[in-house]
Amino acid sequence: VNVTFEQQVDDVLVEEEQSTSVSLPSLMTPPSAAGMSLSVELTRKRKGSVDNQDSKCVSVPDVDMEDDQNRYKDQHVKVKCFREPHSQIEKRRRDKMNNLIDKLSAMIPTCNPMSRKLDKLTVLRMAVQHLKSLKGSASSFSEANYKPSFLPDEELKHLVLKAADGFLFVVGCDRGKIVFVSESVTKILNYSRAELIGQSLFDYIHPKDMGKVKEQLSASELYPRERLIDAKTGLQVQADLPIGAARLCSGARRSFFCRMKYNKISIKVEEKESQGNVLLESQKYCTVHCTGYMRSWPTSQLGAEGEGEVDKQESSHFSCLVAVGRVHNHSSPQVNGEVRVKPTEFITRYAMDGKFTFVDQRATTILGYLPQELLGTSCYEYFHQDDLPHLADRHRKVLRSKEKIETNCYKFKTKYGSFVTLQSQWFSFVNPWTKELEYIVSTNTVISYDPSRAGRSGNKSEQSSNPKASEDCKKSPPIIPGISSTPGTMIYAGSIGTQIANELLDFNRTNSSPSSGNVSPFSLPQDKSPQIHNQISNSVPNGETSDMEIPGKSSSESEPQGAAFSGGETLMENSQLDLESVVGPGLNSLSSDEAAMAVIWSLLETDTNLGEAVDFEEMHWSL
Amino acid sequence: IERNLVQAISREAARRRRRVESDVFGDLSRLLPLQPSVRAHLDKPSVIRLTLSYIRIGCDGAQDEEEKDTEEFEASQETNMYLGILEGFVMVLSTEGDMIFLSDNVSKYMGLTQTELMGHNIFEYTHPCDHEEIRSNLRLTAGGEYIIIQDFVMRIKSALTHRGRTANLKSATWKVLHCQGRAKVCVDPSAVSCLLLTCRPLPLSHTLLSRYTFTSQHSMDMRFTYCDQRVTSLLGYRPEELLGRSIYDLCHALDTSCLNKNHLNLCLKNQSVSGQYRMLVKGGGYVWVESHSAVIPSVRPSRSRPGIPQPLCILSVTYVLRCVHYF
Repeated sequence: VNVTFEQQVDDVLVEEEQSTSVSLPSLMTPPSAAGMSLSVELTRKRKGSVDNQDSKCVSVPDVDMEDDQNRYKDQHVKVKCFREPHSQIEKRRRDKMNNLIDKLSAMIPTCNPMSRKLDKLTVLRMAVQHLKSLKGSASSFSEANYKPSFLPDEELKHLVLKAADGFLFVVGCDRGKIVFVSESVTKILNYSRAELIGQSLFDYIHPKDMGKVKEQLSASELYPRERLIDAKTGLQVQADLPIGAARLCSGARRSFFCRMKYNKISIKVEEKESQGNVLLESQKYCTVHCTGYMRSWPTSQLGAEGEGEVDKQESSHFSCLVAVGRVHNHSSPQVNGEVRVKPTEFITRYAMDGKFTFVDQRATTILGYLPQELLGTSCYEYFHQDDLPHLADRHRKVLRSKEKIETNCYKFKTKYGSFVTLQSQWFSFVNPWTKELEYIVSTNTVISYDPSRAGRSGNKSEQSSNPKASEDCKKSPPIIPGISSTPGTMIYAGSIGTQIANELLDFNRTNSSPSSGNVSPFSLPQDKSPQIHNQISNSVPNGETSDMEIPGKSSSESEPQGAAFSGGETLMENSQLDLESVVGPGLNSLSSDEAAMAVIWSLLETDTNLGEAVDFEEMHWSL
Repeated sequence: IERNLVQAISREAARRRRRVESDVFGDLSRLLPLQPSVRAHLDKPSVIRLTLSYIRIGCDGAQDEEEKDTEEFEASQETNMYLGILEGFVMVLSTEGDMIFLSDNVSKYMGLTQTELMGHNIFEYTHPCDHEEIRSNLRLTAGGEYIIIQDFVMRIKSALTHRGRTANLKSATWKVLHCQGRAKVCVDPSAVSCLLLTCRPLPLSHTLLSRYTFTSQHSMDMRFTYCDQRVTSLLGYRPEELLGRSIYDLCHALDTSCLNKNHLNLCLKNQSVSGQYRMLVKGGGYVWVESHSAVIPSVRPSRSRPGIPQPLCILSVTYVLRCVHYF
């Protein structure tokens, strides 16, 4: 039962036709493939009609229609019974069959050593032999009471648990008694099944999480009504359910984290990668993500494992949680490989203009400020004067690049007036939909705390030939290329960041189409200004923006912000996932916004010509 | 007359060959673990497909019947529990994308049975725009077993109607599948390198503790356009405070890539599960959350101007998984 994308199939199609695989050519590039899938017209298959227009049919009335492909092969008679498309179908069917036979012969040991290609029948016969030998003594699957399956359940179980890397457990709701746990727990928590079964789950949960786990197992609930969301309007719809029923009924789901003990004898702990307050506890606990559902069984069926006879209330039902536990790994891989946060590192986030929008708590022990003291202030206020030029340069660079930018060592003023030497890695994160910069993420490493090293630092960078800087080279105000430093203007450190941000905004404004701020992920800025891009890229080598003059006025077009677009050329090397890199270059070639929207629209209408529309009105999400 | 005789002879020979071939196919199909009703309807290519799968899995049907029963029963209980929690099915993919194995509950989710699908290539059933992503997940690097963890979303054909009935594949719809799993890389030539995946269709039908969830709507750039009241008790913000703010502002700096991937999946495939990430709580600290989101076509039904698309929005249900964490 498969779909074919043939446009004209009006000939006899036999049962075999329905088994041939979809002939969606994998050669198709995404846009045309998308087009194909959207404009599929499934022709009806008419059986029994043969087009005889150009036929020189050899009449073979008693031929089994199933084997007409064999007929063609065997008879070496050119029978032009059918029109061109049909012979193509036939050919494809033959090819498919030959392909399968080849694969089969590759899998069978006795076929392999043969140098010449074996014929179909021989391969099939060898396959039969091979299967017989594999099965050993067991006879064919014809016993009535044997449930045949391709994979014995034991194997399937292993497969499933391997795929998900978790362990299954069942605990009673009343006292948390572990009724069942799968073997895979050994690999994860390093306890044997025997050690765990019959014990209370709470013996293995971190004290601080006990309350939470208790709640997950308990019957009480504040908001008993099942919440449904009308997918059409996104608003809640009240459903009427008696209190508690939804909560504890079979199928009510649970999902939570808790810290579980593990037997640390032979497990390597990733202490360095766990964060914050888990550092101490990571010796003994690991964070487990549990997902599952509630089940309730009548105790009469359970025998020894039920708790019903003890507790009056549950004498009729044994409620438990059936769940899968998976170890939750704290460190999420970053876009460009792994960012491992070591104890002497902390993370900060800046808005485009350098103002702090996020400060890792760890910063406090290093810098002395509480996060809230830093939020909203500009990072430039804390940078040492000598480092301002090179950091401003990096700032400019990171706004225009999709790569991670490293700074040199620089000094950061702590709350107490002293300086710490840091080195940072910045990368700018761009919203995949709007293509606008959301913020800059900074991973900061402490190089040294020693305030006595507050001498020269970071000056080995590109603070080199800057012809314009020499004009007003004064000692006290720092010279930052591009920031207007006309006499009489006090340079507030904070304004540096703002100016840099404004440069970029203004440039984007003058060079982007009016609609680029809209919903149009497929039109790149460079579509609109290819000329400028080419001119600039000729004159400015990549990444050397620091040496160029950047007049304070932002409306200048000669600015080397062509570097911004050069990032677009190396889409495949982007450190950040991008719509283009994910979907492929095909969609980039759409020129107009409307065409782009049409494609999105058709992709989002998840089914267009493949059949019935997905009816969102009927899609209720139950919570 | 001679000509007719020659033709008759060759016809007879052909018939005999076909019969022999059919017999061999029959023999082969009887060696496969199939229900008799299924076996009767198998066509020849399917027999070969399933044989290939059977060989690749390393069929070990040779086990003592009695022993098997109890062991198998327990194992199947466990597996069923597991698959029930998972709300999905298991898929084993070869490096070329052949679906070597599928758990038999696949029919519940895709409307196509295990025997109809096994042995076929995944690229025949998935959305062309997702092929590149699938391919990159299939590129397994050598070195050790079960190292690489995969997590991606793809669209697959489903013959299920939304009333749960099975339709013909001709009227298939796209179903969004969330796939997670590991690569099994085998250096041993007799074993096959493959991808072990658990696949679950989105949206998930969770009935989690409603105390710990809140719903929100976003514009396509992930800025909040609506948020329900529950967010206040969970994250500390009033809904009004969130409107217009981007979710990227509210997430932990290290989780940017996680949300980025989620966002991309939404743009391209309509639905996504975010995986776990951290949301900043008002006043400091963060909570671990997971969001299940979908793109909703415009609410306004007016089609007076059919050419111009209406704004889309993203509907998101966020589950708070862990209480406030202060680093």
